[in-house]
Amino acid sequence: MHAAQGLSMQDGSDPPVSVHFVNNVLAVAASYIEVEPESARDVLAQLGAFLSHRLRPGREVSLRDELEHVATYMRLEQARFPERVVAELPADEGRDGARCRAGSVQAPLAEALDRWLGEHPGRVRVAVHVRSSGERIDVQLDHPDGPVGGGERVRIALDCPAMTESVM
Amino acid sequence: MSSTGLAILAVDDEPRALADVKHLLETSAAVGRVATATSAKEALLFLSGGRYDALFLDVHMPEIEGMALARLLRRFTDPPAVVFLTGHPDAAVEAFEVQALDFLIKPVTRERLEAALARIETRAQPRSAAAVSSEGAASTGGGPDLVAVDNPKGNGKRLVRLESIAIAQANGDYARIVCADGRVLLRTPLNQLEQDWAAAGFARVHRAYLVNLTHAVELRAQLNGTAVLVMRDATEIPVARRNVAALRRRLHA
Repeated sequence: MHAAQGLSMQDGSDPPVSVHFVNNVLAVAASYIEVEPESARDVLAQLGAFLSHRLRPGREVSLRDELEHVATYMRLEQARFPERVVAELPADEGRDGARCRAGSVQAPLAEALDRWLGEHPGRVRVAVHVRSSGERIDVQLDHPDGPVGGGERVRIALDCPAMTESVM
Repeated sequence: MSSTGLAILAVDDEPRALADVKHLLETSAAVGRVATATSAKEALLFLSGGRYDALFLDVHMPEIEGMALARLLRRFTDPPAVVFLTGHPDAAVEAFEVQALDFLIKPVTRERLEAALARIETRAQPRSAAAVSSEGAASTGGGPDLVAVDNPKGNGKRLVRLESIAIAQANGDYARIVCADGRVLLRTPLNQLEQDWAAAGFARVHRAYLVNLTHAVELRAQLNGTAVLVMRDATEIPVARRNVAALRRRLHA
């Protein structure tokens, strides 16, 4: 497994939304409009949910909502690359008390996935794992079939003060 | 460009985005034939098997990116025009550097697509016209004897006699002129020069080259059906396959 890459989203700025991603998702929706209008509507609804989560500056959300945001994002990536993206997302484990900045998990995941898709012409499998460590949560993104040493891992450390009262 | 419309190859690794642009192209009156590829490698296979007026090319693709493919195409004798497709406008600067004909942001609007196709048609038509004029059928007469070019040694203009110009080479919207006393840049596209100088004995032998045939000394056939035009100073100019027969007739006339 490739050495872990540490990423932190604690500099106070909002994680960016990729213009490239948004435009490509809109292209997916456009492709469905005449042939499968329901699919077009579904893609647009997912994109609406994605943008609603992100386009409010400085917003803090529950980790549960952020992980749902990650799930929405992965569905949109699967719409872009129907045969190429396989996602394994964490089950709801009751982290209601943990909070983080909106996009703090999705943005590094998007960066990693974009790189993995570029490096690797075949299928990309992504597994998201969440672990607690005191007042921090470590989110681990694994690409077990990744091009480097048979796999690659990205770690995201989130400061979650409310974790002391949450149930993990 | 054939009489039945433009031949376009669309290349994108995102299948739905590719389906979208394919649908737009197929429903345009300007387009006669659309092929699709999901990678640069596949696109090269298509290009080796047939002629296309233009590639609609995604910028970001695995293995060989769109920009890399565009650079590779510039080495072709008669490359198709390149129109980039991307989700990110920041790639426009790089697209300009590889002399892309246009740059479209996804999802592409019908209006913007038709504008790009009009540019491809404009680019393709003079090439067809060049083949006709190479046969000596078209002569407008009364071409200019002097050309005003930027003075490379300072401000202002310098006049160059048309008969002293051997070659005009496409350089984006400009033309690089090779004349008796050196090389100068002319702020006129090659397509325009082709029309203006036709009566003075210039012929478009290649998308990138307009030559003064009075400076040519040899037409050398190549095994792949193209040719090389050798100039007085031994400069070799590539001749596109489609122009070889007409040029040969004109030189032998």
